[in-house]
Amino acid sequence: MKKYNAAIILGVTCLILVLAICIQIRTIEEASNVVGSSLNDNSEMKDKVLEAQEDYKQIYSQLEKSNKKLEKIRQLATSNSQEDELLKLELEDNDKVQGLTDVKGKGVIINLDDNREVDETEVLNISSYLVHEEDLLQIINELFNAGADAISINNQRVVSTTAILCDGNIIRVNGEIISVPITIKAIGYPESLYYALMRPQGYLDVMQKDGVIVKVEKSDDITISKYEGVYNYDYIIGGDK
Amino acid sequence: MEKRNKIIFSIILGVVCFILTMVIFLQFKTISQTDIISIESMREEELKQELSTYKTKYDEVVTKLEENNKKILEYEKSLSSEEEATNLINKELEESNDLIGKNSVQGEGIIITLTDTKDSKITANDLLTLMNELKQAGAEAISINDQRIVYNTYIVDINYTYISVNGKRIVSPYVVKAIGNTTYLESALSQKQYGYIDKMLAAKKSVVLERQSLIDIANYTGDLSFEYVKEEK
Repeated sequence: MKKYNAAIILGVTCLILVLAICIQIRTIEEASNVVGSSLNDNSEMKDKVLEAQEDYKQIYSQLEKSNKKLEKIRQLATSNSQEDELLKLELEDNDKVQGLTDVKGKGVIINLDDNREVDETEVLNISSYLVHEEDLLQIINELFNAGADAISINNQRVVSTTAILCDGNIIRVNGEIISVPITIKAIGYPESLYYALMRPQGYLDVMQKDGVIVKVEKSDDITISKYEGVYNYDYIIGGDK
Repeated sequence: MEKRNKIIFSIILGVVCFILTMVIFLQFKTISQTDIISIESMREEELKQELSTYKTKYDEVVTKLEENNKKILEYEKSLSSEEEATNLINKELEESNDLIGKNSVQGEGIIITLTDTKDSKITANDLLTLMNELKQAGAEAISINDQRIVYNTYIVDINYTYISVNGKRIVSPYVVKAIGNTTYLESALSQKQYGYIDKMLAAKKSVVLERQSLIDIANYTGDLSFEYVKEEK
């Protein structure tokens, strides 16, 4: 009797595991099928892209380690003089302004999505139901105008060098591909940020009326992650000091 | 003897379950590591673009890493000399002040002059688009009529009579200065038909671009500190 019980439990466990594997494999296959067979020839290219992304992740994590090391040694080197310590604090404040740290605060979270319910043949202009890169540029501009401290688009931090580009039917922010649904997080005074975009004839109010799916919520607890890139300093040959 | 069989049986079952579990984890890992769909659905041109984007980013990080290592060595050497440490921290601070806009800066770059004409006025959106294109082309510092562009700069039309940048009123002619690789900056804006300049000219707007080997860009006069970000620790 005991033997049977054990066998049944084992049998069920194995079945579940096998099912899980099958589901996984099917998911992956479905994802690949989206492309269509003619594009599968690019597999070598895709591998190269994956490899390049992996290499970048690795080198970036090395940079993060060396940043920590630099912080430590800087701390040690500046601990002997009060004046140096003040300079170090100012440098750390600058890092925050450059978006090199995660930040928290209250603000708004905006969700945007293309309207897929509409029938292309029935509407005059399908374009007005979709989210475009100009929309993102305008929304960011409005948010800063309303006093936002920090903004991210699908977790890409908006910094002083951030460009928002349309490249075929792909939107890129900081060079990274962004696709719908789009989530914009902004830290600032929630009422001002909300009003700036949702007031009658505000940018998001208009977008919503044009047919794009728009959701804006105020939140007391927003975390915006840091900018995962570097600033180039190759053509500035000297400041005023 | 029977007991031994039982043990062997259990071990085999154990190993099978273990292998199955490992396979599942591997699958999960593959899925979470790579955004399969976004890459799978790309065309060859887009893949090439993606590859070159990552190569550029890689090289930038390598440069930064080398700089960091050099700084670490210099700080290590400075541990015995307070004066040396002051020099190093000052140098780091000045560089970051140059980048965020607290310092006025100099360097090679381009100057674009946009002027209102009888037919067409320059709008805030024209300037916003130009900023975006200059950033994409790698501009390291930008100003419009001496208003420095910082991370939270906004550009808006006020009653169709003037444009506000950083909350300061500016009027035509709009002189946009950008420091960066002159060739990149110029070619990014001068693409035939779809480039910024051709689009503006097609809309009957007046745009003039000139290259300069030395441009002065003013510093930002406002306050750059956060107001709503909660301080941690």
